Order: sequence, then C-alpha cells, then structure tokens
Amino acid sequence: MKLRYPNRIKPYLLIAPALFLAVLFSYRPFFLTLVNSFHTISLAGKRINFIGFDNYIRLFANPSFQASLSNTLRFTLFFVPTNIVICLSAALLSNRPGKLATLNQIFFFLPMAVGLSSTMMIVKMMFNPSIGIINQLLGLDIQWFNNRHAAMGLLVFAGVGLDIGLNFLLLISALRNVPSDLVEVATIEGASWSQTFRYLQAPMISSTLLFVVVTNIKDAMLISAPVMILTEGGPYRSTQTLVYQMYLEGFRSGNYAMGSTIATIVFALTFAILLLLLHLERRRVYYQ
Amino acid sequence: MKRITAIVATLFSLVVVFPIFYTISASFFQYTDFTAIPARLLPTLPTISNYTRAFSESNLALFLSNSLFSALVGTAVRMTISIIGAYAFTFFTFRGKNLLFIIIVATMLLPTDALILENYTTIRALRLTDTYLGIISTTLLAPTHLFMLRQYFKTVSREYREAAVLEGCSDSRFLTTLLIPISQAVIITLAIHSFSTIFNDYLWPLLVTNRESMRTVQVGLTMLGFSENLDYGPQFAAITVLMTPILIIFIALHKPIQESVSSRFSGR
Repeated sequence: MKLRYPNRIKPYLLIAPALFLAVLFSYRPFFLTLVNSFHTISLAGKRINFIGFDNYIRLFANPSFQASLSNTLRFTLFFVPTNIVICLSAALLSNRPGKLATLNQIFFFLPMAVGLSSTMMIVKMMFNPSIGIINQLLGLDIQWFNNRHAAMGLLVFAGVGLDIGLNFLLLISALRNVPSDLVEVATIEGASWSQTFRYLQAPMISSTLLFVVVTNIKDAMLISAPVMILTEGGPYRSTQTLVYQMYLEGFRSGNYAMGSTIATIVFALTFAILLLLLHLERRRVYYQ
Repeated sequence: MKRITAIVATLFSLVVVFPIFYTISASFFQYTDFTAIPARLLPTLPTISNYTRAFSESNLALFLSNSLFSALVGTAVRMTISIIGAYAFTFFTFRGKNLLFIIIVATMLLPTDALILENYTTIRALRLTDTYLGIISTTLLAPTHLFMLRQYFKTVSREYREAAVLEGCSDSRFLTTLLIPISQAVIITLAIHSFSTIFNDYLWPLLVTNRESMRTVQVGLTMLGFSENLDYGPQFAAITVLMTPILIIFIALHKPIQESVSSRFSGR
C-alpha cells in the first residue's frame, strides 16, 4: 500500500508553529527568568554577575515583598472559599427544571460576558465612597479604597464577580450530569437536602469541584490586573500582590533582577499547586 | 421547599446581575442623577449624551477597532495553529510524537503573567512594540485548544483518513471538507473562547503598547479620563457599548454554551 503522502517531514511541519511559539514565548522566557534571578542585572537588562541566592535573600528581607507575599496568601485564603460557596450555591439553587430556573441560570453566568477591565471599572465606580451606588443604596459610609480591610474585601468581591460566570457554568454542568432519578429516589427515601448533596451530588461532581478549586487558587495567587485597575496596591500596600509587585519592580523601578526573582517564586508556587492537584486527583476523586 | 428554593435563587441571581443592570441604566443617567438623594436606580430622563460624549471626547472607537482587529486575527491564527497541530498529533505517527506533544501542552503549566518580563524584552528586541503582531504574539499558542482538539479528533475514526488518503484526497482537502466540518461545534466554542481571551487581555497589551493609537479597548477603557473626574455617565456608556454585543450573544446562545461546557468537562 503506497500512500500518496509518505512524507516524513510533514507532521513536523504541521506542529512547527506550535513548537516554535512554545519555545519562544514559554520555555525561553522561563529559563531566562530563572537564570536572571541568580544574577545582578544592568538597567539595560544585561546580566552582570552571578550572585547565587542573594536576590532571594534580599527579597525575603524586603518589607514590600513580605507585604506582597502575605497579601497574596491572604487574598487566596479569603477569595477561594467565598467564591466556591457563592458559585456552588448558585449552581445548586438553580439546578431545577422550569423557565424561572433557566432565567436564574442565565443571570448567574452573564457576568462572564463582562470583560476584566469593564468589571473592575464597574466595581470602582459602584463602590466610590461619595457618589457610588453601593454606599448610597445601603446607607453605608465605608471608605472602600482607604481602609485596608475594606480594600481587601473589595478585591475579593471583584474577584468573585470576575469568576462567577465560568465557575457557575462548570458546576451546574457537573450537577446536571448527576442522574436526576438518583436524586429523586434519594428524596423519596427521605434523604435531607444536605444528605443528598453530601452523599450523592458532591462525590459525583468532585472532579469538577477540584478543578474549580485548583484553578481558583492558581488565579488568586497570580492576581494582578484587578489590583492595578482597582486599588493600585493601596492603601499602604495592603492589596499589593506578588505579580503586581513583579510588574512594579520590572517595569516601573527598573529592578529587573528583583522582578525575575519574584517571577521565579510565582512559578514555584504555581507548580506546588499543580502538584497538589495531581496528588489529590489520584487519591480522592470519585470517577463515574 | 421548592418554592423557597425558587425565591432564594431568583433573589440571589438578581444580586449577581445587578451591576450589569446598573451599568446599563447609569449609562443613560444625567449628571445630577448620580448625586441624587435617595440614590437612583433608573434615570430621571434617559439621555444618550453619555454615548455621544464617550465617543467624541475619547478614542473609544479607535481602541475598539484595535481590539476587534487583534482579536479576530489572533483567533484565526491561533485556531489554525491548534487545528493543524492537533491534526498532526492525531493522524500521523512520527518519531518523538509523545514527547513533542508533552512539550507543547506543558506550556499550560507556565503562567503567562509571570513570563511578561522576558517576553517584553523579546518583543522589544524584535521591534514589535506598538504593533498588532506584538499585541497578539504571546497569545498565538493555545495548548488547551490543541489538547482538546486532539481529544476530539481522536473520536474521528482513523479509517476515514486512511480511506480519504487512498482515494487521493490531500491533507488540506481532508481537513477543510471533512474534519473541520464535523468538528464544527468544538471549533466554534474554542474560537469564541479564543476571541474573548485575546479581546479581554489586559496586562500584556498594556505593556506592549505605548502609543495611544495602538491601545486596546481593555487598556483604554481604564484611561478614558471620565471616571477620574467622577464623570461616570460616559464611562458607564463606554462599558455598555463594550459588553452589550457579548451579553446578547450569551443570552441568545445560552443553551449551546452550557452544553459545550458540559461536554467539554464530562470528557464525552
């Protein structure tokens, strides 16, 4: 049998663009960032000399970095549970038949249609302490951008607004795949709502739930653009996060070595989370 | 119990959708409506002056066209690269296939935001700052798309291709007349996803564009100069212009969108 295209080079040509881009915009910058974090770097971006872990030592002693690290971890700690509870409740509550339920579902995933900077600008204006609708409507007098706790809360809220659409969609699709007759039988047999969730739905959506949790953690650790638009790290660095500081060091202060060092730490954190995912997936998750 | 669930769900969903509702409503506010006491949720007398001001007093139209152009071209290139790559990985056997596949897909693990320092240096060295190519460059590889397309292509029998090749059908013809049409649903979903990812990107376009004339709308939207002066009307109008087409698409296509997510993650 002689095929018309016995060409051995062909598959390589077909994957060449993807491979080229992977090397140029992923692996090369990754290795250079890693290497740079062990060097002093000139203002022009040239490596001057190898200094081992000095950048890391200096960074961990730097109060600004300590703030970024603790803010990022605190944000993750507040954001992930809040977001999961909100998105999961939305999915559970609207997982019913009927026209009204469909409308609820559309409302829950509509925030996905609003882009990142639009979402942030909306939040910024709605939460303006003097003329924003939130303080006026709820009769509050919270200085959302001048109070450390309020600013962090606002960032968490904005993060939920950004993620609810997709996370809701993922969770409700998973819930729909739980056979409805099983849920019916459970209800007829007298299982309470919480029992049905705990023993029937939760195990069956666990792989989606795990996926959502892990991507949430990853997104939270990497948060930067919302900070840039909404709070610019303030007040008093209370919302300055790792990637935001990386941006400041690398592009505003011209401190390229520090920027690369922070980037390397961000890589390490992301890898740690992904390893955790793999580990959990192997051990815990129930597959149909 | 059922009724309570319905009421709670409805109230909850109204809270979630409130910012979108308020944005649209406030885009028709007059200046005094923002400071009225008690606070207004609907305009006293709807006005479109915010829209005319948003376009006449800022470069919104230019930003929008920059974004549309880069997202369209970016999506086209990105889909092409993903489709031909997935095609090669599904229907060809070649040395190093698995390793090369892992090398490409593993780029998923490298967060793009942490790569911007070096990528910016690369783009500057290639003299691509303030160009469309510079804006889309780092988004052109979509490992997730390549991965998902390969998963989908695998469900297409290899015999189809063998038969087609025996009949003298070229690869490009097989792709365009058979494989792409039968994978339409997946390809459209991924293309929509690509478009919105590139269109919504913030950090990278912010870095690689310095000239105002090259700014994308996501970056430009935060620098229109209205909200800084508490002149919220035109700012809300600009946001409404930006989100309305997508809102309409989402409402119209809510069923297929939900189904595509469902099939994508249940592994079917």
